Amino acid sequence: MNFISRLGYVIKEGFLQVIRAGGLSVAVVVIVAATLLQLSLFLGVSRVLDHAFSSANQKFEMAVFLSAATTQADTARIQDLLSHDARVASFQLVTKEAALQEFRKDPSIDQMVRALGENPLTDSFTVVLKNEATGQADSLAADLKKESRVEEVSYGKGEWETVSNLARVIRWAGLLMASLVFLTALFIVANTLTLALWARREDMLSMVRLGAPVWMRWGPYLCEGIFQGLMGSVIVMVFLEATRRAAGAALQKYSGFDLLATLPAQDWFSLYLHLMVIGMVIGMLGAFWALQKKWVKELL
Amino acid sequence: MRSRDSCRNLKTMLIQGFHLSQTDASGLPILEDTYFSFPEGSYTVLLSENVLASTVFLKMLAGEYRPAAGTLRIDHQDPYTFSSSQKRRWISEVGVVFSDFKLFLDRTVEENILFTLRAKGFWDEQSLGAVEVLLSRAGLADKAKSLPEALTEGEKQLVMVLRAMIFRPRLLLADDPFLGVEGSAFGILFKFLWELNKTGTTIVISARQASFLEEVKKTGESLKLRWVQIDGGKIYILEEKVS
Repeated sequence: MNFISRLGYVIKEGFLQVIRAGGLSVAVVVIVAATLLQLSLFLGVSRVLDHAFSSANQKFEMAVFLSAATTQADTARIQDLLSHDARVASFQLVTKEAALQEFRKDPSIDQMVRALGENPLTDSFTVVLKNEATGQADSLAADLKKESRVEEVSYGKGEWETVSNLARVIRWAGLLMASLVFLTALFIVANTLTLALWARREDMLSMVRLGAPVWMRWGPYLCEGIFQGLMGSVIVMVFLEATRRAAGAALQKYSGFDLLATLPAQDWFSLYLHLMVIGMVIGMLGAFWALQKKWVKELL
Repeated sequence: MRSRDSCRNLKTMLIQGFHLSQTDASGLPILEDTYFSFPEGSYTVLLSENVLASTVFLKMLAGEYRPAAGTLRIDHQDPYTFSSSQKRRWISEVGVVFSDFKLFLDRTVEENILFTLRAKGFWDEQSLGAVEVLLSRAGLADKAKSLPEALTEGEKQLVMVLRAMIFRPRLLLADDPFLGVEGSAFGILFKFLWELNKTGTTIVISARQASFLEEVKKTGESLKLRWVQIDGGKIYILEEKVS
């Protein structure tokens, strides 16, 4: 009962102090909101990239071209090999006739094939790798090349690595920038809350003289920071959701493709949840930092 | 460690000063190599031509101004060597009224007094009832929900004293608690302090001799006070009987 009463006191006082601090509270809320807006940009880009990369991973394909001298028995052996390989999710045989038919849909290629008079293509397999095996594309290609009837294995290795590296660099750069923004916000919030503490130093001294325990002196201030952080994050969440809906509709209208819709709803929800937690952490750490100032510690 | 009650029964010397020297903020001497002792349960009134001297002396007893030299003993311990937890424990048994110890301006009168009880660990619903009874006895029941800005200076002073005494401290240190308190409010406040002292609380207050004495006589109480004067760096016990 006592614990609940005390917790209730801390929460109530924390909330009341947000109101009592007036302009300084508004300043902290605005700083937290501005920070979260920047962080959401980094987090959002990172999430869209992650999602795009993950989708691309799911569609990772390689083409295995067989030599012209391949017999049906060779093809069956390679089929058997692929069906027993743990790295392979699925595969499909594309006969040279089916491939030619596909190529002929392009009139210029159709003309060239007519000039040649015969089908220059060979049978091939389209192999889809399992999600967790996309990193083993090199080893699978090497294993397949050991087969005498396999002429070439193509899976755009260079391009894949470039995209993968670029995504990694963007993710790390985003993380670094986000950390810097986080620390800067923490510093500004801490200093703003220090001003709030300075304005209430007489009250703090009174609390000490009345023998108030540490939790009664610190609790409401930490709670105040958490509330301010929460308010900042709610503002950003509302703004982002409104922007997402408006921008998504605009993208769909003008480009016919809503990039924002590529991110599933649960990812947006997760992003908002992260922003809320980060906002509260900034507020609480900012308040904690302010309480660590020498003059505050001497007072308390 | 002796319990609070056993300390009272033994009538131990609660506050003692040995070869104590103290200066004010500007470095002027207030006490010079002085000895004094205030028995537990006593009611001491400090008088001084220099108002600042009383304030500094009371703050020194409250553990806020370290003596320049000598030893201060409170329950046979030096409060200036207390660890932070010992200091907190000590503060939790002391009620103080200082001119720079204001009421919380953004809390009602009731909340201001209730804060003290909360700070001392009283979280039950009876606490609020105790505050209401006290305010009613002080004639401030109708001001319970008011903010301090709605009170007169005398009423503020009364609330500050009520805030300091509601938890029945072992020691009450009050710097001119009757300042601005006149008429019936003086009588009420005087009665409260007198009753508090009778329950065993040691009281040390500063007062302006002439006006205080005049008002005390109006209350018609036959009482025993220890009158102490701070003068020329020394402490003199003047008399114990007022009327």
